[in-house]
Amino acid sequence: MARALREKERGPTPQSVSWGFFVALEEYEVRPETIVKDVTRPRTVIYAAIISLCAYTVPAHAQTEPATSAASPAFRQVIDETGRTVRVPQPVRRIVSLVPSLTETVYALGLQDNLVGDTDYCDYPPEAQKKTKVGGIMNPSLEEIVTLHPDLVLMKRGLNRIETAQALDSLGIPVYGTDPHTVDEIITSVKKLADVLSAPEAGVSVANDMHRRLDDLRQRLGSAAAKRVLFVVWTQPLISVGKDAFITDALRYAGASSIVDSEQSWPQVNLEEVVRLQPDFLVFATSHAEDAPHEIERLAALPGWRMLEAVSNHRFAVISDAVNRPAPRIVSAIEDLARQLHPDAFAEKPDGGKERMDKENPAPKTKSPARAYFHPLDLRKETANPRGCCVCAL
Amino acid sequence: MSNGSAVARNPNDAPRASSDARLSVEQVSYAYSANPAQAPLFTLEATSFQAKPGEIVAILGPNASGKSTLLKLIAGELAPLSGRILLDGFVTQSLTPRTRAQRIAVVQQESVLLFPARVWEFVLQGRHSHGRSLRFESADDVLIARNALAQVGAAALSGRWMDQISGGEKQRVILARALAQQPLLLLLDEPTLHLDIAAQVGLLDALRRLAAENRYTVVVVTHELNLAAEYADQVVLMQRGRCLRVGPPASIYQRELLEQVFQTSLAVEFGASGRPRVTVLSGT
Amino acid sequence: MRPLTIQRVFLQCSILVVILFVVVVIALKFGAVPVSLYALGHDLLRVIFGQTSQISSDYGLIVVNIRLPRILLGIIVGACLSVAGASFQALLRNPLADPYVLGVSSGAALGSILALIAEPHLSLSPAFAALLTPMGAFFGAAATITAVYFLGRREGQIDSNTLLLGGVITASFLSAVIMFLMNTLSGNLRGLAFWLEGDLSTPLQKSVYWFLSIGFFVAAGAIYTTAADLNLLLAGEKEAMHLGVDVPRVRLVVYVAASFLTGLAVSVSGAVGYVGLIVPHVMRLIFGSDHRTLLPTAALGGAIAVVGADTLARTVVAPAELAVGAVTAIVGAPLFIYLLRKRLS
Repeated sequence: MARALREKERGPTPQSVSWGFFVALEEYEVRPETIVKDVTRPRTVIYAAIISLCAYTVPAHAQTEPATSAASPAFRQVIDETGRTVRVPQPVRRIVSLVPSLTETVYALGLQDNLVGDTDYCDYPPEAQKKTKVGGIMNPSLEEIVTLHPDLVLMKRGLNRIETAQALDSLGIPVYGTDPHTVDEIITSVKKLADVLSAPEAGVSVANDMHRRLDDLRQRLGSAAAKRVLFVVWTQPLISVGKDAFITDALRYAGASSIVDSEQSWPQVNLEEVVRLQPDFLVFATSHAEDAPHEIERLAALPGWRMLEAVSNHRFAVISDAVNRPAPRIVSAIEDLARQLHPDAFAEKPDGGKERMDKENPAPKTKSPARAYFHPLDLRKETANPRGCCVCAL
Repeated sequence: MSNGSAVARNPNDAPRASSDARLSVEQVSYAYSANPAQAPLFTLEATSFQAKPGEIVAILGPNASGKSTLLKLIAGELAPLSGRILLDGFVTQSLTPRTRAQRIAVVQQESVLLFPARVWEFVLQGRHSHGRSLRFESADDVLIARNALAQVGAAALSGRWMDQISGGEKQRVILARALAQQPLLLLLDEPTLHLDIAAQVGLLDALRRLAAENRYTVVVVTHELNLAAEYADQVVLMQRGRCLRVGPPASIYQRELLEQVFQTSLAVEFGASGRPRVTVLSGT
Repeated sequence: MRPLTIQRVFLQCSILVVILFVVVVIALKFGAVPVSLYALGHDLLRVIFGQTSQISSDYGLIVVNIRLPRILLGIIVGACLSVAGASFQALLRNPLADPYVLGVSSGAALGSILALIAEPHLSLSPAFAALLTPMGAFFGAAATITAVYFLGRREGQIDSNTLLLGGVITASFLSAVIMFLMNTLSGNLRGLAFWLEGDLSTPLQKSVYWFLSIGFFVAAGAIYTTAADLNLLLAGEKEAMHLGVDVPRVRLVVYVAASFLTGLAVSVSGAVGYVGLIVPHVMRLIFGSDHRTLLPTAALGGAIAVVGADTLARTVVAPAELAVGAVTAIVGAPLFIYLLRKRLS
């Protein structure tokens, strides 16, 4: 119908016009063999569709379960700390850890022989650095993980990406996730993990040790008033920890209380507020203790910071970055902090405590050229400044 | 509504039979207002004229007389408030853009290209309205484009880049693209604005020749009195949105009328060819 | 005077298909885990003949289950982004336009953030949970497309300048909202920053791939029917109308289809930058500005670019991975400067 109408509108091509053109056209002749046929769109679509359909039969066939290498018929169904149900093969012989804190925990449980892969950032204990690396915390290589044929992959919510977990799920590799928010939860998490990894006794033993040391600490501190502290994660901008973070809980065990009360995990704190609240101590965590004094002096000279009594009275506490990792070693960091905040409660040194602390906080590494105190990589290893790479978001 | 005497046609003109006329503009009016609630900023009062194949019509008038608006109405860019425009008996309003482009070609003053193109590619664009929506140009199209270039005398420019040819050459190429549309009607808005005298004469000579050879109807908007007098077969005289008179130059070019419209002292003479010539009198 | 013929388009596309094939083979071969070409060919043949259970080697499984889906995703995303970029450059008559200029990627990001926020509150099967983020992103994109359409209208039709303004404003606004949410919410949103840079590493279900490819062909096909019109549109809207182009209809079709393509790409891979901007320009340099050849060659060129960039992202700092968007930016920005200078000279 529409076509007929169009024909009518167009009408007969006025003869006079074509004449005009062809009058001048005498020297040119139309060569039929050079006339190109119009190719209709549907044909091209069909060709393209056929080609693409062939290409897609490949993944269509390919989406199958990869054959499990070693037939382990025994499975155990557990619910991990993120609420996911995980089918863990029994026994667990090959572990890949995607978080430095869980790597440490595995070593603490004595299961390091079962650890077949960890991340580039897993650096404690030093032997962990010799394990096969699978990449970063947020961007591990799926291929590497698959090559290692793990029975279980360990992750921590908040550090690893849910997409990595989903990807491993779709490849048929079990993923166990942890998510501790308090020191107690860390201890429970260690016990549960030991249970899942078929080493419950080691878990109980480590947990008991942690409990004992914390109880000792509590006794020692007695009824001493908690020092009000600001835990400094980052200086520019000023970032501290929220009330839901395990670090905040750890501070409590060390006889300190964070002056920051925030719902966010890594709240950005207003320096004016800090000045108003005047914390007793500023707490820094780093793996390079030897750089600390120099950098703190630099910080103390900045405007605003100078107004803090803690700065003018040199009330800084520097502890190892173990406090950033929810692993057994956090207890040492807590003890170290308690020591610095309440020196009077530690007049006589307990047996082995100091030596153990030194062992767990390795001696300063070879001096690197003076660099910014809060080097991104220091904290990225575990806490990973959430703001660092987000500035360019869109 | 128009004053009867002002629109009176030259009584010597016989009323044209509608089958003769290719272009028939019937009582076309237009009004434009920025805000529907306000009074219109600009109006074009009901205007009518007719044109035959092979004729050149000049729409003549000073600035802001509604010439360009009238041309846009004929071109289909604007929809008239009242009246209609017929081309070979078909109402142009009811045509789709594609069919309209097969019949009406607008020759732009210039063309700004975003990405570089060659002259022949440019002219080939004129063939777009012929044929289906997704198609590749056939040898026929190539032939027609080549001929269009030849007709404007720009065949040698075929392989050059559009941004490397002179202004006058570009004008010719733009005209060639319009010719490639194989239209019935050619519309030009102030084509002589940026051209020197030689180029102006060349363009209008070409238009006259093409109109005669290919039986186009050509409508040219201009304010150049002498060019219109020399080349137009019909003149539509406009002032402030009103069409004052329609007719051959001899009947339009009367001193009092022109002085009233153009607000300046003039002298009108008639040359040997019978065409009027206007001289501007300097001073008061 | 040699006008474009369908044969020439096919020839140009065939060249690119060959290059794409080579790039795909390289991508399959290289990765954190080395694979030999022989084993590769063998395994692929087994897959084609449906004998997947006989692929015993780790490498075969890695190739088929990890690399191949990723490469496929890269092809689709690259094709979508390049076609969308070329279309927007024509629609907005602006050589600097890229698929994200009208805010589609910001809308997709916001949609995925909302999905991430909602996820713990909904009990979903794992399969569906994995789809939640892409779906949220896609609906976010769709909502943005609709909003910008209404913002970009003048007198009832899409107007290029108004559209550009509306789109840019929407993009800025949405980015601000996203920043606000990411700062105030405590949840697991840091993965989002990674995704925003462009990330192809998440394998998706089969149905998603089908949806993506069908969506691509439908939308790209719709744009292709207006390819000749787009050529004329570039000369100017008035001129295009005089030459027979139904400008409002073409604008609407191109806008919706190109935004849809962008939404498809962004919802599964995040905002991979520079591809939609630069690939069309490179293809114009090599094959010309005629959209009837530009659109298919840009699609293939985009596929090549993204697969290549992703391979680099996977291998350069192995075993860790870079975000694809980082590689495209590092390569794309200097390339863009070079193209710009070439144009100006």
